[in-house]
Amino acid sequence: MDMETVTLSPEARAVAGRIHNIRDYLDLLAEHGQCITWPDTVMPEPDIRKVVVAAGRDAMTGPAIVFDKIRGYPGKRLVVGVHGSFSNIALLLGKPKGTSIKELFYELAGRWGSDTPLINRVEPEHAPVHENRVEAGINLYDLLPLYRINALDGGFYIAKANIVSRDPRDPDNFAKQNVGIYRIQVQGPDRFTLLSVPSHDMAQQILMAEQDDVPLKVAVMLGNHPAMAMFAATPVNYDESEFAYASQMMGSPIELTRSGNGMDVLAGAEMVIEAELLNNQRCLEGPFGEFPGSYSGIRHVPLFRVTAVSHRTDPIFESIYIGKGWTEHDTLIGLNTSAPIYAQLKENFPEVVAVNALYQHGLTGIISVKNRFAGFAKSVAMRALGTPHGLMYLKNLIMVDDDVDPFDLNQVMWALSTRTRASDIIVIPNMPLVLIDPAAEIPGKGHRLVIDATSFMPPDPIGGDAKLVAPPTGSEIDDLAKYILRLQKEAENR
Amino acid sequence: MNCPRCQSAEEHLRTECEGREGGELVWTVFYCRRCSFTWRDSEPAESIDYGLREDWFRADPDHPEKYEQNIPPAKTDGAD
Ligand SMILES: [Zn+2]
Repeated sequence: MDMETVTLSPEARAVAGRIHNIRDYLDLLAEHGQCITWPDTVMPEPDIRKVVVAAGRDAMTGPAIVFDKIRGYPGKRLVVGVHGSFSNIALLLGKPKGTSIKELFYELAGRWGSDTPLINRVEPEHAPVHENRVEAGINLYDLLPLYRINALDGGFYIAKANIVSRDPRDPDNFAKQNVGIYRIQVQGPDRFTLLSVPSHDMAQQILMAEQDDVPLKVAVMLGNHPAMAMFAATPVNYDESEFAYASQMMGSPIELTRSGNGMDVLAGAEMVIEAELLNNQRCLEGPFGEFPGSYSGIRHVPLFRVTAVSHRTDPIFESIYIGKGWTEHDTLIGLNTSAPIYAQLKENFPEVVAVNALYQHGLTGIISVKNRFAGFAKSVAMRALGTPHGLMYLKNLIMVDDDVDPFDLNQVMWALSTRTRASDIIVIPNMPLVLIDPAAEIPGKGHRLVIDATSFMPPDPIGGDAKLVAPPTGSEIDDLAKYILRLQKEAENR
Repeated sequence: MNCPRCQSAEEHLRTECEGREGGELVWTVFYCRRCSFTWRDSEPAESIDYGLREDWFRADPDHPEKYEQNIPPAKTDGAD
């Protein structure tokens, strides 16, 4: 990666400059009608689930929702849906509400590739997260308004935390610090299980700690800077820092302090739960409603003991609804799943125009490409299957021409209807595939599907002579569409 | 009261937390030490009524070998 800093628009710089933590972001969202406080008293179950699912139906403009009247949890606050719509993401990137997904994609893709860490250090005694400290009598149920996310989950989950850990064989190495998103099931007042995919950094660290009989300490950060929540899920190399990456993508410094157990943590997090692995102990975990929209089953999962908790005064518990799509999970990770695939494809194929891997973490992807000759798009598809994310996730791939916006499904369907021949469909059997695909015959293995919905090119002798209607396009039409929306709104208000 | 997921008897259950408002008990959260299920007694029946659960959503702590290991323990002398 090069060391240049990404140039941000003045609007993006202004937003980056004012957001230091989740509270700043909720204020920004509220100013634009994108964060509301639920007016009524709710039961933890099933009311929160119902409200959040209803809000999540609107992927473009659904708001974040703060609950501060939860029965049995007086004085506690919960927020769900913080990254629940593309308008919320747009505001974070300094774009107006209603910005098209394609425009957001190019904004993120444009920020990709710089790796100059922007990190400000804050002494622990000045860090807001350490305003309150609990070291004895820890009870997670007293600290957080925990609730059941989906009706048949095996327990109460902390589902939107960023977890920091160090290489147990090299615990002083900052660069070998890992920040990831793992699901956490509360297993008692000071116990939790943490599920990690065996190939991921965290699982590797658990294995090392148990083999060497050394401690593995973690810090669970809750209620985080919105960029951290978005970018901690983006795969970076083992020796790169997710903090550096998040700050670079945001274009403003991330404020770090030290947790009581020696990890670097966000100084402005709402809460940091410090814990250590109980080596070789396992506990039943699950089911949990996961992102493909199905429950994962019960497993024996590594168990951790909470050693201390730091939190801001009146902390806000940030949670997420995950389940059958569309949900906040899709908005949270969709664009930063798409951007790296795009960047990696561009290195070999500058003809690639855009990548839409929004659906179920990229189980279905749509790639638009300037087709150079017959079959070219299929070669690009093969390269996409070989990208780090494509390797395990890109199950279904639809290739479209550069005149099709892959984020506009009406246009994609047009391409499928008019440019697809059944002989342009490729099935590659028995490929590696992410374990979580509910359609897999054997978990971890599956077939790949490539649908070439690009137009016919020479030397293909037939089909290339379709004379396309050329409706007017471009920024003038985009502006007119926005103007029409404004006129409609005015007409409605009259 | 038995566990809504594995029907373990009361002696295997632990009270985790009581939700109170001005002294009034609103709900209680329980944990099953045998199958790790956590529930609140105020939840809808679909979550806490054993009779309404499909087999797949029940648990069988008498046969822990039925459940996969996420990461097998490096050493097996640790308690489970
Ligand atoms: Zn049980």
